[in-house]
Amino acid sequence: MIAATHPVTPEELMAYRDGEHSSGRTAFLAAHLEACSQCQEIDRVLRHASPTLASWTVAPALPNSAFEQRLSEAAAQCASVSVNRSLFNGLLAGFGRRHPVFSAAFGVSAIVAMGLAMVWFSARKPFPDATVAMNKGVAMRESRAESVFLNSPTSQNVEDDVSEKPEMAKENLDAAIAQRQALLERLQQARMASNLENPAPPPSPPPMIARSVSLSVVVKNFEACRATLDAILARHHGYAAMLTANTQQNAAQSLQASLRIPAGELASVVNDLKALGHIENESQSGEEVTQQHADLVARLKNSRETEARLQAILVQRTGKISDVLEVEREIARVRGEIEQMEAEQKSLEHRVDFATIDLNLGEEYKAQLGSPSPSIATRFHNAVVAGYRSALESLIGVTLFLAEYGPSALVWLALFAPLAWFLRRRWTRASLRA
Amino acid sequence: MSETPTHPASDERLMLAFTHGSPEALTELFRRYQQPIHGFFRRRIADPAQAEELLQETFLALLRAAKRYEPRALFRTYLYAIALKILRSHRRKAIFRAAWFGRPDTVPDPAKRDSTETDLWVRRAVAQLDATDREILLLREFEQMSYAEIADLLHLPLNTVRSRLFRARTALRQLLEAPAPQAVTRDISTVGAST
Repeated sequence: MIAATHPVTPEELMAYRDGEHSSGRTAFLAAHLEACSQCQEIDRVLRHASPTLASWTVAPALPNSAFEQRLSEAAAQCASVSVNRSLFNGLLAGFGRRHPVFSAAFGVSAIVAMGLAMVWFSARKPFPDATVAMNKGVAMRESRAESVFLNSPTSQNVEDDVSEKPEMAKENLDAAIAQRQALLERLQQARMASNLENPAPPPSPPPMIARSVSLSVVVKNFEACRATLDAILARHHGYAAMLTANTQQNAAQSLQASLRIPAGELASVVNDLKALGHIENESQSGEEVTQQHADLVARLKNSRETEARLQAILVQRTGKISDVLEVEREIARVRGEIEQMEAEQKSLEHRVDFATIDLNLGEEYKAQLGSPSPSIATRFHNAVVAGYRSALESLIGVTLFLAEYGPSALVWLALFAPLAWFLRRRWTRASLRA
Repeated sequence: MSETPTHPASDERLMLAFTHGSPEALTELFRRYQQPIHGFFRRRIADPAQAEELLQETFLALLRAAKRYEPRALFRTYLYAIALKILRSHRRKAIFRAAWFGRPDTVPDPAKRDSTETDLWVRRAVAQLDATDREILLLREFEQMSYAEIADLLHLPLNTVRSRLFRARTALRQLLEAPAPQAVTRDISTVGAST
């Protein structure tokens, strides 16, 4: 039976019998059912199902007063709990279910806050190193290091470092000098006695000694001592071969210098430098270079004579060109040795004529309470810049954190959320049944 | 002088009263729907103990979901939707237990307990219907639901419900008129798991 050939479909007829049709169509269906035999047959079939199914009866549920009682108690408890629901449960159960968007935003905010905290804690560690490096850079910029390299010392002193206290070193040095003076006097007396017996020999040259002193002085007024140092150098005709000054703010100032002082003025200069402040360390040494100088003078004399003989040969003798060239090469070699020895002689005599003082001048630093602080505008500007950098760093940190840990967090959330939901559901059911 | 009879409150009013803190309303709803819901489960599950358990489970779920209740539809439809969800969950668990533990639930044969010959004959005929057709037929015949309620409950178009119901009734007629087989082993509790 097709709707195209029959005005009423079987489903429509069934709906009419079940009372599911509108009143406008009901009259038509009732009239059609009385007239159409096919529809009557279908109606008979459909009406057969319901009485047959009605024979399928089930035993009624036994009265379960215990469950009914528990249900009543649970209902009463649920009603009271709904009134006294805590804020936490309200947020999680009520707010979360009714406002899933806000609860999701809250969860994301919590994750972001956690990420911020982790990034902040992880970023705190490299800060000290960075601060130290920055301070070093600032200190290097602010320090007005003056390095004057006028002449590099080439002495090969064998210093007798005095490790004892300065007073003991001074006493030992004075004793040694007195002993040396006494020895020289006895030697001079013996020579005078022998001069009376023998004809006068040529006078021996005085000993050549290269003196060097090391001083560490702590002063109270660094700037004043700096000016005094310049005055001392000018008064004793000395100079600074090397000078380095560190004048960092909010820190002790210091100065390292290598002073060259005429040998005759050494004692007075040392005394003047000691008067600048407290002596922390002092050492003096003297290198006997007499023999070295005598050898150098002798070799220089021989070389000059050799050069003169070679010059004479070149002028007086004739021969092969190769011989002449060989003589000229020999003259050039000897000339180079002569010039090298002359430079060594000058340097050696300069070391003897000018003593070396290695001065380490330090300031006795006192922290100042009244140190000038930057202006409010500068501080505000610095705060704004620091805040901008902090915000940028935190934003980058959050982004990096989400990029690094976000996928993992989603995976773990997807893994554990069903388990948590299941456990909570079981717990709720158990509590209600109990 | 006779006392004016008071009209019983509707199901929806009782449910709203419970959501506003009246536990007696839920008790009244339980008394009204205890037998219908028990029959709902009893016709779909062979084990009466499990049917009783699912009945309790349904009202506990109603208790838990009371705060979210909104009277947008009939309370009856709402309650049967809960029952249907619990029934499906029960069937999924039964399939899971049978698949993983290899021991299906021991279901007592209803024919040996409280079934008559006609009852068993009808039950076996219904068990041979298509799962969806069977569910629509049972909801219409025993729960007395309208086509619209069934469509809402099963999430099906209204015309689909009507055509499937007609098909189920026709098939049932044919099955009941056919000679009964010697051994019918299918049972509605296991066949209906696909619903």
